[in-house]
Amino acid sequence: MSHAIDIRDLHYKAGSFELRELALRVPTGSLYGFLGPNGSGKTTTVRLMLGLLRPLRGSITVLGAEVPRDIPRILARTGYVPEQPHLYTTLTVDEALRFHSVFYPTWDWDWANELVGSFGLDRARRLSQLSKGEMGKLEMLLALAQRPELLVLDEPTDGLDPVVRRDVLAALLDYVSQQNATVFISSHLVHELERICDWVGVMDRGRLVAELPMQSFKNGIKRLRVANPPALPGDTPFVVLAREGGNGGSETWTVRGWQAPMSQYFDGVGASLREVIDLDLEEGFVELLRTFREPRD
Amino acid sequence: MFRMILYTQWKWSRLILLPAVIAAFALPVFSVQVVGTPNQSGWEARRILSAVQTWGIAYPLLATGIALAIAMTAWGPDHRGRHVYALSLPVPRWNYALQRFGAGIVLLIAPALALWIGAALAATTAQIPAGLHAYPVALAARFTLALAVAYAVFFAITAGTTRTAGYVLATLGGIVLIQIFAASVGIEIQLLPFVSDRLLLWPGPFEIFSGRWMLIDV
Repeated sequence: MSHAIDIRDLHYKAGSFELRELALRVPTGSLYGFLGPNGSGKTTTVRLMLGLLRPLRGSITVLGAEVPRDIPRILARTGYVPEQPHLYTTLTVDEALRFHSVFYPTWDWDWANELVGSFGLDRARRLSQLSKGEMGKLEMLLALAQRPELLVLDEPTDGLDPVVRRDVLAALLDYVSQQNATVFISSHLVHELERICDWVGVMDRGRLVAELPMQSFKNGIKRLRVANPPALPGDTPFVVLAREGGNGGSETWTVRGWQAPMSQYFDGVGASLREVIDLDLEEGFVELLRTFREPRD
Repeated sequence: MFRMILYTQWKWSRLILLPAVIAAFALPVFSVQVVGTPNQSGWEARRILSAVQTWGIAYPLLATGIALAIAMTAWGPDHRGRHVYALSLPVPRWNYALQRFGAGIVLLIAPALALWIGAALAATTAQIPAGLHAYPVALAARFTLALAVAYAVFFAITAGTTRTAGYVLATLGGIVLIQIFAASVGIEIQLLPFVSDRLLLWPGPFEIFSGRWMLIDV
C-alpha cells in the first residue's frame, strides 16, 4: 500500500507542548480522519507536514516528496484549508481567486466559477465582509479548484452552521469521487468524520493513540454485559478498556479488538456474556482516550 | 505571479502612495518659491542657497517616511494571518519575499518619478541667478536611491517577527540610553556619534541620507 503521507519518529516542541515519536501513515486515496481533543496536537501535526513548522527530528514524506526539502513541489499538489481563515481580507472574492490561481498550474477556472455559483459567493464582496460560513466555503473552494492530489483540511467545518457544513462536505466528497484524491481531515467533530472517513488516526497529548481503518475502529470497540465476571480478567483475546460494576453481580466491559468467536473466553472463565453492544465512533473515541490517559494493567 | 503580487501590494498601499506622490511632486516646487520672480531686484544667492538647504532636510525624511509606510503595508496582511497563507503557497520563501520586495520597489517608482517631474518643473520655472544651477536629475536620482535603501532596510525589519523589530528598536534605544546615562554621570563616551558616523558616513549604508540635498546649488 502506498502512502500519501508518511511520518516517522517525529518530535517537535514549542513551550510546554510536545509531539513525541509521532508515526502516521495515510494510505493514498483514503479519507483519513485525524481525531483528537482540542490541544492534542492536530494542527501542529498538519503544520509540520506542510513545512510551516520545523520538527526537532524525524522524517515527513508527503506525496513521495520530502518535507521540508521539496515543500514548494508538495504544496503545488496539496490543497490546504487551515484552522483559522488565513486569506488577505482586504481583497474581494474575485481578487482572492485571481491571486490564488496564479500559484497553481493545475487551477481549474471552470470548476472555480461553478463552485462560486453553487456556494453563493459574491465575487465583488471583500473578504473582511464575508460571514464565517462564506469564508469557510471560499477556503474550501480555493483548495478544491487547484485540483490537488492531497487535501489537508484542518477543522474545515468548525463553527459552520449545518447547512454550510453540508455544502462544504458535499463539494469535498464530490471532488474525491471524481479525482480519487487523498483527504487528510483533522477534526474534533467525531460524528462528521464517522460519516465520511475510511481511516482514522487519534491524537491525544501530542501522541498518536490509534491508527486503523474506520471499520475496524467502529467494529472493534464494543460494550459487553457480562454476568458473573472474573475478579481478574486474565489473558483475554481482546483489550479491556474499562470495567464498570452493574446490578446483581454483572459488569459492563468496554473492549477493543472484539470479534464474535471471542465469546468462548467467557465460558472458559465461568462467566457468561449477556449482550454485545455496538459503540458509535464518539463513544469508542472517548473510551480510547480514557484508556490512554489512565492505562490499566 | 508577480503581476498579482504587485496588484495586491498596490491595493494595500494606494492610500499611502497618493499623498506620497503629491508630497514628492510638491516638495521641490515649494522649495524654489524662495527664489522669487524675475522682477525681483538684487539676487541674494547666499539666502537662496540657505533656504534651499533648509528644504533639503525634507527629502531624506520624505524618502524614509514613504519607504517605511510601503514596507509596512507589504507585510501587514501577512502578519495579520501569521504568514500562514504566504507559507502555504507553492513558491520558495525567498522567491515570495523577493517578489514582494520587487513589487514595493515598482510602486516606489511613482513618488520617485513625481519628485523628478516636480524638480524639473521647479528648475524650469524658477529664475535662478547667475552662478547657481539647478540639479533636478541628480536630486531625483538621490531621492530614488534613498527610497530604495530605506525600503530595503524597513522591508527586512518588517518581514521579521515583532520580536525581531523589537530587538532592532531595543538596540537603537539602548545606544541612546547609554549615551544619555554616560553624559549625565560625566563619562566621556561618544557611542551615539560613533554609531551614527558608521551608519551615515561613507562607506556606511545610510550615507545617501546625509550631506546636502540641493535642488539649486553652485
